[in-house]
Amino acid sequence: MATVPLIAPSEDFRRELRRRGGERASRCYQCATCSAVCELAPEGRPFPRRQVLLAQWGQGDQLATDPAVWLCHQCNDCTVRCPRDVRPGDLMQVVRAMVIERLAAPAFLGRLVANVRSTWPVVLGAPLLLWVLLLGLTGHLGVPPGFHAYDQLVPHWLIYSVFFPVAAFVLWAAWVSGRRFWTLLGSVGPPRKGSFLASLVPVFGEISTHGRFSNCEAGRPRRWGHLALLWGFVGAAVTSGLLVVALYGFGAQLPLPLDHPFKILGNISAVLLVVGGVILLINRLGDPQKTGASTAFDRFFLTVVLLVIATGVLAEVGRFFFPAAVACSIYIVHLSVVLTLFVTFPYSKFAHMLYRTLAMVHERMTG
Amino acid sequence: MEHVGVFLCSGCGIGDALDLEAVASAAEDSGGALCHTHPCLCAEEGIALVRESLSSGEADGLVIAACSQRVKCKAFSFDSATPVQRVGLREQVTWSHPPNDEDTQMLAEDLVRMGVARVLKSKPPVRQEEEIADTVLVVGGGLTGLEAAAAAAGLGKPVVLLEKEAELGGHLAGIGELAPAGPPYDQLHENPVSNLIEQVRSNSRIRVLTSAVLRGISGQPGQFKVEVAAGGGDETFMAGAIVQATGARPYDAHRLAHLGYGEQADVITSAELDAMLEAGSLTRPSNGETPQRVAFVQCAGSRDAEHLLYCSGECCATTLRQAARLRRDYPDVEPCVVYRDIRMPGQQERFYLAVQEEGGTLLMRGEVDGVGGNGNGRLAVHLRESLLGDDARLEADLVVLAVGMVPNSADGEAIRALHDAQQRVEHGESETQREEARKVAERLAAHEGTEILHLGYRQGPDLPVLQYGFPDSHYICFPYETRRTGIYSAGALRAPMDPAQAVEDAWGAALKAVQCIEAARRGEAVHPRSGDLGAPDFFLQRCTQCKRCTEECPFGTLNEDEKGTPQLNVLRCRRCGICMGACPERIISFPDYSVDAVASMIKAIEVPEEEDEKPRIVALMCENDALPALDAAARLGRTWSPWIRIVPVRCLGSVNIVWIADSLSRGVDGVILVGCKYGDDAQCHYIRGSELASKRLENVQETLDRLALEPERIKLVELAHNEFDRVPTILDEFAAEIEEMDPNPYKGF
Repeated sequence: MATVPLIAPSEDFRRELRRRGGERASRCYQCATCSAVCELAPEGRPFPRRQVLLAQWGQGDQLATDPAVWLCHQCNDCTVRCPRDVRPGDLMQVVRAMVIERLAAPAFLGRLVANVRSTWPVVLGAPLLLWVLLLGLTGHLGVPPGFHAYDQLVPHWLIYSVFFPVAAFVLWAAWVSGRRFWTLLGSVGPPRKGSFLASLVPVFGEISTHGRFSNCEAGRPRRWGHLALLWGFVGAAVTSGLLVVALYGFGAQLPLPLDHPFKILGNISAVLLVVGGVILLINRLGDPQKTGASTAFDRFFLTVVLLVIATGVLAEVGRFFFPAAVACSIYIVHLSVVLTLFVTFPYSKFAHMLYRTLAMVHERMTG
Repeated sequence: MEHVGVFLCSGCGIGDALDLEAVASAAEDSGGALCHTHPCLCAEEGIALVRESLSSGEADGLVIAACSQRVKCKAFSFDSATPVQRVGLREQVTWSHPPNDEDTQMLAEDLVRMGVARVLKSKPPVRQEEEIADTVLVVGGGLTGLEAAAAAAGLGKPVVLLEKEAELGGHLAGIGELAPAGPPYDQLHENPVSNLIEQVRSNSRIRVLTSAVLRGISGQPGQFKVEVAAGGGDETFMAGAIVQATGARPYDAHRLAHLGYGEQADVITSAELDAMLEAGSLTRPSNGETPQRVAFVQCAGSRDAEHLLYCSGECCATTLRQAARLRRDYPDVEPCVVYRDIRMPGQQERFYLAVQEEGGTLLMRGEVDGVGGNGNGRLAVHLRESLLGDDARLEADLVVLAVGMVPNSADGEAIRALHDAQQRVEHGESETQREEARKVAERLAAHEGTEILHLGYRQGPDLPVLQYGFPDSHYICFPYETRRTGIYSAGALRAPMDPAQAVEDAWGAALKAVQCIEAARRGEAVHPRSGDLGAPDFFLQRCTQCKRCTEECPFGTLNEDEKGTPQLNVLRCRRCGICMGACPERIISFPDYSVDAVASMIKAIEVPEEEDEKPRIVALMCENDALPALDAAARLGRTWSPWIRIVPVRCLGSVNIVWIADSLSRGVDGVILVGCKYGDDAQCHYIRGSELASKRLENVQETLDRLALEPERIKLVELAHNEFDRVPTILDEFAAEIEEMDPNPYKGF
């Protein structure tokens, strides 16, 4: 008797699910229309019916080990067709947020971001306060005389001394969470075959084109916004890396002239980010059936991304056209939202980058 | 009748396709007293023409040769004393055969001759004035009975309501709230039963007899003699119609040991949970503590080959209402429903959604293998192949078995068979017979003493039951009607149902009962031949007491005296004619439908000489199903063999074998009988008419042998009402088979 598994419906999980916008799970009557219409579900391992069921029965442990939670791209083809209006697409989104919190290291940061509906002033305000304090303490708070470049306002060493440790912390946190997730994925289902890297490469290929999004119907417009944003961020990251090389390897002078290749790359990235951000924003404002309902958790991530893009572009433009005080303020805000984006990476919706990639690799290795 | 007025209609293209003058002279030659042709007989002017012939005394019987008997019924119904024979020239001749053709013309003339022959042999119905009781007897004082009593009283009838218990209300008495019965169907609502009891008790038209014992019911609709013991004395009264609403009882949970009932103290039934909820003490019987998780096991003993095969259609609603109640009254309790399918009929689906949305009730699809102890003082519900793919187990503190319902019915036919067998055990003619009877009696022993209505009917003391013991009507189109005219079953007795459906049922049955009383007062058949005044006549001097009529009447119309002579209870009769078809002495006739009348129709067919190569086929077709199917085929422009002469019959069960012998000895080449399907999906209005006909056909073989004819000349085909597409093919194929054979050698005799 002891070998028969006990179904322990966790009332806590169900309460948490309801609180975070997953209350519609209880409406499900298991018709499996959602799984039948999902174009992303792999052969023989359909989703999201099973995941809706797990959520309904309060099986949080099983959801945390389930790659399907992450293979879902929230196209909402299921939501559009669900006869009971369970909105499985939205539910999967809520479940992902709950898994992110569950795997977060350290846990209190996960909790902080998970409850961003009430904690957003801290999450957004603390980095700003930090920058203001740092600048004040180092005597840089104020418009630099003869202002023409932002390194006059914030010296590079100050930037490095903030972002390098933060990056290291984030990498550690992502590593810990990623490992936990990878172990959980491997704890159930068929054993993995082949090497991680050999599967990672094709997964990167797939991510680079967002091929899976093309199977979606209801959520198809999101593909292009999401793709532009992805490449915009990649471009911005590459530009930053190249810039460090140019500064210290080749003694480049800031600000770079507008026709400098790095500058051009950076600006192309900025355009991609603006275009992607605008598409996603417009999409969010559309039919919630197709685009998915926005929880505070979703809105927070999109807001931070849009703030990063907006302050970045405005800071660049403002240097030429705005009064120096305004431009400098925008730059400080920019630095602080970028810091928020960085620090919250393992805890916000941003973490889907980590988990979905791992899930896709796992899928390949077990497929 | 002596003066047959024949009215031909030339409208709807009939006049263009036929030589109606020739048809008219055929009518007159065959005995028609007068013959008129009108271009639109169903119009006011045409009808006036017909009426005039009746009022002037020129005609006392009518042949209306126009469209099918299935259409324009109202226009062509005159007074009840005048026999009317409709001849479907339009459907059976001109729409389905080539115009101005020799064979088409012969067909039309034959059909009109047949019509005239039948009316000549018809008599006006004799109406007997009978004293009719107005009272509706309602047996059973649960929700259905109460509602039926209130409904019948509301319709102006005096009502006697019998309840065997001391209190009214049945199973629902004492339950505070029920699943929703009205919009928006999303919350519990107050149980209507207590109000209803008050309403019934205070209604001056309703006499309530509680702690009542029904001793016997004899007689017939309008004249049921009811004997009851109640309140310490016996009484006898007359009732016009009866509503049986004896309800259902929960399936015996003691048979569900695998689900822990009787073995685990904390396994209870839905009814026991209701009692707990009403008493305000939700506790585990084992230790008196309040349970944390209450698991409901749906389909406990339902849809199960070893228990009840059917779905009771109500247990899901009961469970969900109990879960909703638990959530409201005991917020810390976690109700968990394990189900195979949630079945919430109609708008109840909204209540299901409401319970789901509230979120506190866990609904879990799964097959429950068993319920046992979990070793920690709790119970374990074992799930086989849960939705998550594996066997699993769910812990609970209280397990509620949602058991199905079993009708409180008595199998009248089985009881009768038992009593007959017991008689044979005593008075059997041979040892073998007595031994056989002993076996039957043993097999049916469980029916001993189960009588409810105590009907004084030859065919048994209670209603015949259908599948699973529910005395339902045979067909979806006639709910509440049972095989005992004037006795209507309603509520959970008739079929498993929820309270809302039972209320609807009660109204349906009450309306039927009132209708029946009124029809009895007019001396008419109730259904399906509503309004038919023509009662059967038994020429008993020639009766041989073979008992075929008493046995084969589907409605238990006939009782027997000690010698076995049939005793007619005309108000039970539905005029199907099955007794007429059964009688080997041919002593049973209806005024406008008799062995002689139909035989005359067959004799009126002009059978051409052998060398004319025009075979003739008689098609005896059921006028309820086969004939409408044929009409539909004609309407769609289908054609069929012109050799066929259609004789509409009330039921294939009314076909007397002598008609077949008559046909063949007249030189008719083949006889086809087309009637309803029988077997499990029987569609016969008279239960098993075509089945009886097919059995009787076995005896025709003798006749064929005697006449040295091929057995293939006789055929019986089952046809459903909607199989209009098949009818022409069936007729054509049979005609082709007959053409293959040599002509009937009796032509010209």
